[in-house]
Amino acid sequence: MDFVPHDDKTITEMLKVIGINNLEELFQDIPKDLIINRLNLPLGLSEPDVLKNVKKLSQKNRVYSNSFLGAGYYFHYIPSLVDFVISRTEFYTSYTPYQAEASQGYLQAMYEYQSIISRLTQMDVANASMYDGSTALAEAAIMATLITRKNRLLLLEGIHPEYSEVVKTYCWGQGINLKIIAENKLIDELNQDIAAVLFQSPNFFGDIEDVLMLAKKVKEKAPNCLLIQCMTDPTCLGVLKPPGETNVDIFVAEGQSFGISPSFGGPGLGIFAAKKKYLRKMPGRLVGKTKEINGEREGFLLTLQAREQHIRREKASSNICSNQALCSLSALIYLISLGKTGLREIASQNFQKANYVKNKLTEIPGYEILNKKPTYNEFIVKCPDVDALTHECKQLDLLPPLRLSKYFPNLKNIALVCVTEMNSRESIEKFINAAKNVLHNKKEGKK
Amino acid sequence: MEYEFPDDLKYIKTHEWARIEGDMATIGITDYAQHQLGDIVYVELPEIGRTIEKESIAGEIESVKAVGEILMPLSGEIVENNTILTEKPESVNSSPYKTGWMLKIKISNSSEINELLSVEDYKKIVEDEEK
Repeated sequence: MDFVPHDDKTITEMLKVIGINNLEELFQDIPKDLIINRLNLPLGLSEPDVLKNVKKLSQKNRVYSNSFLGAGYYFHYIPSLVDFVISRTEFYTSYTPYQAEASQGYLQAMYEYQSIISRLTQMDVANASMYDGSTALAEAAIMATLITRKNRLLLLEGIHPEYSEVVKTYCWGQGINLKIIAENKLIDELNQDIAAVLFQSPNFFGDIEDVLMLAKKVKEKAPNCLLIQCMTDPTCLGVLKPPGETNVDIFVAEGQSFGISPSFGGPGLGIFAAKKKYLRKMPGRLVGKTKEINGEREGFLLTLQAREQHIRREKASSNICSNQALCSLSALIYLISLGKTGLREIASQNFQKANYVKNKLTEIPGYEILNKKPTYNEFIVKCPDVDALTHECKQLDLLPPLRLSKYFPNLKNIALVCVTEMNSRESIEKFINAAKNVLHNKKEGKK
Repeated sequence: MEYEFPDDLKYIKTHEWARIEGDMATIGITDYAQHQLGDIVYVELPEIGRTIEKESIAGEIESVKAVGEILMPLSGEIVENNTILTEKPESVNSSPYKTGWMLKIKISNSSEINELLSVEDYKKIVEDEEK
């Protein structure tokens, strides 16, 4: 049926059919004091006028020529193939398909996504995806408490502060205790009652952790304690050792970097992978490949949802019954477009460009790189005046780096700088100039 | 519906059985329980050496349509679990009292044995549930 606005004649006819005289009669069951007769709204607009208004509003958005902002969401190039494939109407639905609505094509896409994530991370199993990186981390934390039947967690400083908040929220409802500690306190805090140690690498400040060493420390002191790694920009897997080779039990990441636009901070993609022995405790769903009983034809199906409410009823220990189907498809097409060598190329460009900027900044008096460990595409720098740097960047049409004081009020005049393959040589020079201008302006006594 | 309930076993109302031999007991789920669950696809058993209290959860049974818990009929330390069930969970359906057994425990409090149900008492419970 088409949607056609009603004219007076149609309305009168319709009222006559149901045997009433006017619209007020139709709504007579609603208590008088609840009826609103007139909304305080301007008159309706014609479509061209609406478009004009919206366009005017959109011009208020400031679109920068280049960005030095990361801290969880990253500007990476998105191959045209990604939008082309995900825009196909077979995929582009308004809602994640559940079992009944999932077509073979979509199931195969999810299966391929799981396979590619498993290969990339070298973890045994990957699920069909979670909402985003932070909720994936929280689910991993809860999963660890189910596996170990212990309810204490240690979070290493360096986890994205917003991720820690999400983990806290999930744990609060389940009576799980957690403590955020510095890495050098780990040995003191570790004992047999700890379900898992959670850490991020590369961490929020950009440091790449020695994961093998960390795993060794944890397993020596508490053999049954699980090691959970999270990551905010998994493009680094193009050059860094995958979690499957560093004795990580559960690996989670924000998959936005894989072909999903940063937008205004969402939607994201929760990558979730684990060792095979924890398969049954994994949240979310897993797509499998099967064969006909009497035949050779292969098909795809939802194989395992061991923790969900429609299987476990009141005993469900997780409540994500769907997945980020469209975003996981973006990640799949992104990774296929790049291939093995492409991802390595992206990763080395991120690494080299960011380290170039790092070195350039150290040459400017008053700037000091605070990272003691190697970094990937983010690092922290002590600035003479971070507000002035922010201002200068904006002047030069650059989206400025994050001021750490946003999350850590005590860390004043420190910027978290992100450099990706999207930063051209020109934009990098502009940024270095912005950093120099701060000093220059300071000397001149202006702000 | 006719179910098999061996006379030499003790039962609890959540449909687990115990075969007591000295201070040791073998534990599984009853014929009625496996019928209720349907095709069993996965059995999760506790690790050896753990001590679990009576009526606490020892493990889980997953069938194609539901998930059930295995409760301890008696308090005790796990000394053995049936590794056959990892590969062949359907043994619980085909032979709940023999190949489909689940745990062997060392009984930690023998006075609990008196609280277990006889086959007659257990049959009454099943009859009530069937009504």
